[in-house]
Amino acid sequence: MKDNIDFKQYWNKQKIETPAPKELIKKANEFKRKTRFKLIAANLVLLATCMGISFIWFYYQPEFLTTKIGIVLCIIAMLIYLAFHNTLAPLLLNHSLELDTKTQLKQLITLKEKQRFQQTTLLNGYFILLSLGLGLYMYEYVVRMRLPWAIFSYGSVLFWIAINAFYFRPKIIKKQQTQLDKLITQLKDFKAQLTD
Amino acid sequence: MTFEDIHKTYWPKVYRQCIGYINDPDAAKDLTQETFIKVWQQLPKFRNESSIGTWIFRIAVNTCLGQIRKDKKMPKSELPMGLVAEVLEDKEPEMQFLYQCISELPEIERIIIALELEDLKQKEIAKIVGLSEINVRVRIHRIKEKLTKKFQKNER
Repeated sequence: MKDNIDFKQYWNKQKIETPAPKELIKKANEFKRKTRFKLIAANLVLLATCMGISFIWFYYQPEFLTTKIGIVLCIIAMLIYLAFHNTLAPLLLNHSLELDTKTQLKQLITLKEKQRFQQTTLLNGYFILLSLGLGLYMYEYVVRMRLPWAIFSYGSVLFWIAINAFYFRPKIIKKQQTQLDKLITQLKDFKAQLTD
Repeated sequence: MTFEDIHKTYWPKVYRQCIGYINDPDAAKDLTQETFIKVWQQLPKFRNESSIGTWIFRIAVNTCLGQIRKDKKMPKSELPMGLVAEVLEDKEPEMQFLYQCISELPEIERIIIALELEDLKQKEIAKIVGLSEINVRVRIHRIKEKLTKKFQKNER
């Protein structure tokens, strides 16, 4: 039985085909374009929605203060979402890769824990602001309706809000949390392997 | 050094690093590619604070550690049978066995031994993973012991 096995000899027997770098550069460019496109698309969609809502304000000239507050709340909700998306998203994509593993893991864990907190808070905030905004915005138009219609209008909006609050919101939060928790556990496991 | 030179010199090294980590040729190819995409993107930002080799291996190691997290979603047992059979082909049995043994080690040990087998200095390995040189030396010694035992058991 050998005690001194030459592992390097076996290690280097691995067959390797080096592909042409041209293909790689093409793929890298594609990736860059796609990432940028996604960021721009998210911005455009939400900004267009904000503009659409503002347009209502200027075109229909609502009389009640509640309507205006409602519009402002909806816009604030979307702008906060965008601000988060634009600052944290690139950070998550381009975090320093060239740090040593130990430092990098430490940084990544902090970042992911921050993300876990922010995702939940952000989603809750976004949801509350949007629901409140919508409720206030509707008021002016609902008071002009007859009672059964008013009840029906508010009833259906409240129903929609309730579905979001008690079904979609916890579901999304749970999904995000489970993924992040799994990731953080694994990162911590790697970090534990690196303790002296 | 141009990107083309780096690519030519380091592709095989990074590929071995990745396949040592994951022991699956296709996944290793993807990881190597991902590493080089990052190298290509970050190359203009590279300042000669460390050697280019250390820098590239750091990116490779961090890419590997990032990958296993995605991979855990799909345990090996769920892979179609054909894929597993392909890996177990009977070419160079010692080499196959070595790569298999390495892939069974804890993640950080896989990385350290792969760097050692790639002929990196222990000082450089220490810089890549963020441990002290002494710690790296001790770990390499222990890992080699583990591998030797596995090889001896296999010979029996």
